[in-house]
Amino acid sequence: MSNANPLLAILSGLWVSTRHFLRNLSRFARGRQDFAIHFPEQRLVQPPALRGMPVLVQMDNGKERCVACGLCEWACPTTCITIYPAETTDEVERYPQIFDIDMARCMFCGLCEEACPEEAIVMSRQIEIASYSRRGSLWHKQDLLVPVNQLKTRTDYLRRNYDR
Amino acid sequence: MSSPQKTVKVTIDNRVIEAPEGATLLQVMLDAEMDIPHYCYHPKLSIDGSCRLCQVKIEGMPKLQISCNTQVRDGMVVNTLDPEVQSTRRGVLELLLLNHPLDCPICDKAGECWLQNFAMRFGSGQARTVEPRRKHGKRLDIGEQILLDQERCILCRRCVRFCREISKTGELAVYGIGDHSVLDIYDRRVDNDYSMCVADVCPVGALETKDFHHKMRVWFLEETASVCPSCSNGCNIMVSSARRQIWRLIPRRNDDVNDTWMCDVGRLNYKFIDDPARLLAPQVAGDAGLVETGWQSALERAASSIADFIKRNGAKAFGAIVSPHLTNEENYRFGELLSAIGAGRVAMAVRRGRHDDFLIKAEKAANARGVRELGLVKGADDGLGEMLRACEAGEIKALYICGDDMLDAVAPERLAAILAKIDLLIVQDLKLRPQFGRAAVVLPTTTFAEKDGTFTNHAGRVQRIQRALESPPGWVGDGEIFTSILNLVSSRRDRFELGEVWAAMTRDGSPFAGLKLDEIGPNGAALGTPGGR
Repeated sequence: MSNANPLLAILSGLWVSTRHFLRNLSRFARGRQDFAIHFPEQRLVQPPALRGMPVLVQMDNGKERCVACGLCEWACPTTCITIYPAETTDEVERYPQIFDIDMARCMFCGLCEEACPEEAIVMSRQIEIASYSRRGSLWHKQDLLVPVNQLKTRTDYLRRNYDR
Repeated sequence: MSSPQKTVKVTIDNRVIEAPEGATLLQVMLDAEMDIPHYCYHPKLSIDGSCRLCQVKIEGMPKLQISCNTQVRDGMVVNTLDPEVQSTRRGVLELLLLNHPLDCPICDKAGECWLQNFAMRFGSGQARTVEPRRKHGKRLDIGEQILLDQERCILCRRCVRFCREISKTGELAVYGIGDHSVLDIYDRRVDNDYSMCVADVCPVGALETKDFHHKMRVWFLEETASVCPSCSNGCNIMVSSARRQIWRLIPRRNDDVNDTWMCDVGRLNYKFIDDPARLLAPQVAGDAGLVETGWQSALERAASSIADFIKRNGAKAFGAIVSPHLTNEENYRFGELLSAIGAGRVAMAVRRGRHDDFLIKAEKAANARGVRELGLVKGADDGLGEMLRACEAGEIKALYICGDDMLDAVAPERLAAILAKIDLLIVQDLKLRPQFGRAAVVLPTTTFAEKDGTFTNHAGRVQRIQRALESPPGWVGDGEIFTSILNLVSSRRDRFELGEVWAAMTRDGSPFAGLKLDEIGPNGAALGTPGGR
C-alpha cells in the first residue's frame, strides 16, 4: 500500500517513530527510569524470527544432517560458504568433508537456510561471534554443529513460515 | 556439400522451416533451436522411441506422433504448442517421476539433469501419488569407472544403444518387463575403453562416473572449450574447472573428429595438471645439484650457456628434441630459436601406446602432426634414431629437450648412456626427472589447460585450445621461454603474442597458409583446404 505513494511511505515511517516516542514518553511520565538492557549481565530473549549466525544441524547420532548438495553455497550472496563433498558408507551416501563459513563475510540474510532442502543449515540465535582475528571468523564444520533439539524454536518457525 | 541435397519445407508452429529430405522431425526442430523435451533421442545413436516425450501434433495424423521417429515431409504442418501436446508432456513426465527417488541433493547430475530441466519447464510440479516408490539397486558398482543407480533410471536405453552401437561391447541391457524393467549388466562389467560415455549420454543421474562422484557441483564448474591432449586424435572436450582446479573433462561434439565421444584414458588424464610434484620454479645446476632460481636468471643462464657452448663446439653439435605436447605456435617459435642458433639436428620423441580403429590413436601426444607440418623434423621416426646415433657418436654434445616423451621412446640404458655423454643439457618439463639430473637448466613447462593456442591432430585438423586455469603470477609459458631465449641469443626483441606468431606462421608456403586464427571455429579447420572447411 505505502509502496504506491511515496508520501504515504514517509508518513507511515514517521508514524512508527512517533508511536515509539509517545509510548516511551508516557512510560517515562509514569516513572520508568531505565530504557536499556544491561548487556552482558542481562540479555534479551530473541524472537524465533531473529537471524543469528548460520549453524549446521547435528542429528542424534552426532553427525551432520547436511548432504553437501551445495545449494546454500550457490544461494549465498557473499560466497562465504565453502563445501567439499565426499562419500560415506552411510545410508545417505554423501556428506560434507569440509564445511566452512566465513562469518566475517556472512551478512545473515538467511538465504542458505531457505535454499537448504534438508533443513540442515539454520539461522541460530547466536549473535556473539566477534573474534580477534580474521582466522577466528572462519568457522569449520565441527564448530558449526548444534544439536537438533537446541534448534527446535527455529525449525518450528521455519516449518510454520516457509510453507514446508 | 558435394551434391545439392533435396530440401523440404515444413511448417512448425507457424514457422516455415527448410529441412533436408529424410531428416527426423525432432532433429529439424532442435536445429531450429526449438525447445522440445526428449530423452531417448541422441543424434549419434539409433532411434529408440521409448521415452514418448517428444510427441507433437501433426496435421492429418489421428494421434500425436513421436517426432524423433517421424521423417519430415514436404508441406507437413506441426504444432508443438497445442494443449494436447502440453498435457501429454505433463503426463509422460509424471509417469517418469512416479518412481524417481528425487535424491537430487546427493545426485551428481543435479544441475545438468534433463529430468530436472524438463520437469521444471514442462512438468506439473506436483506429485499425486501416495504409494511408496519402487525400490531398486543404488550405488551398484558395474564397472571400473561406472556406478549405476537403478532407481534414478528412466529407461531411455541410450546407454544400452551406446554399448551396442558405439563401443560394440553390449554390456548393458534392460531386463524385466512392465514396471519391473530395470537397467543392469548380465555377464560382464562395463569395462570398455569408452565406458564413461554412458554417463554422458545418461540424461539423468542413473549412470555416474566414479571419478566425478561426489566431487563438485556442476553449477560451480566453468566450462572451457579445448582439445584432449592425450593422443593425436584431438577429441574436442570441455574442461570443467572451479576453485582453480580441474574436476573433469567431458567430450564436446565435433562431427569431424569425435562425434560426441571420448575415451576413458583421455577423460581421466587431467590429474597431472594438479600434480603436487609439478615443477613450480626453474632450476639451475649449482655446486650441489639443481637449485631453484627465478625465471629471469634461469632464462639468462640458458641463453648464456647456449652461446658459450656454440662458441666452443660450434652450432652443429647442438641438438634439440621438440615436444609434441606444445602448441603449433610455441613449436614455431622454438623452430625460430633453433634456426637462430643454427642447431645441427632436431628430432621429436613421441610416446606410443595402444590404439584402436575408433578414437584412440597410437601417438600419445596432441600435436605431433603440427610439429611435422611446421617442418621442424623429418623422417619416418621424426629424426630420433639419427639423433640418438649422432649423440652416441659424439657429434651432438648439447641437447635442448622439451617434454618427457624421450623417457618412454628410448630404452632407459641407452638414454642414460647418451645423457652421460652430453656436455650441455637444457630440459623443459613438467617435473624434475632423475634421468635429467645432469641438466644445466630445467624450465617448467605449461600444460594444455593453462594456455591458448592450436593443436594439429593426426588428420591435419587445426583446433584451438583455450586457457582454463590461470598460471601463478610471474609464470613464463613455453612460448615466452622460447621467445626470451631467442631474444637473448639474437638481437631480436620479439614478444610471444598469439596473433603475431600466427601471422608469421601462416606466411605463404607454410602448410598453415590461408588459415586465420580467429576463423578457426569450435570445430577446428582442416589443413590444406581453402578456408579450412
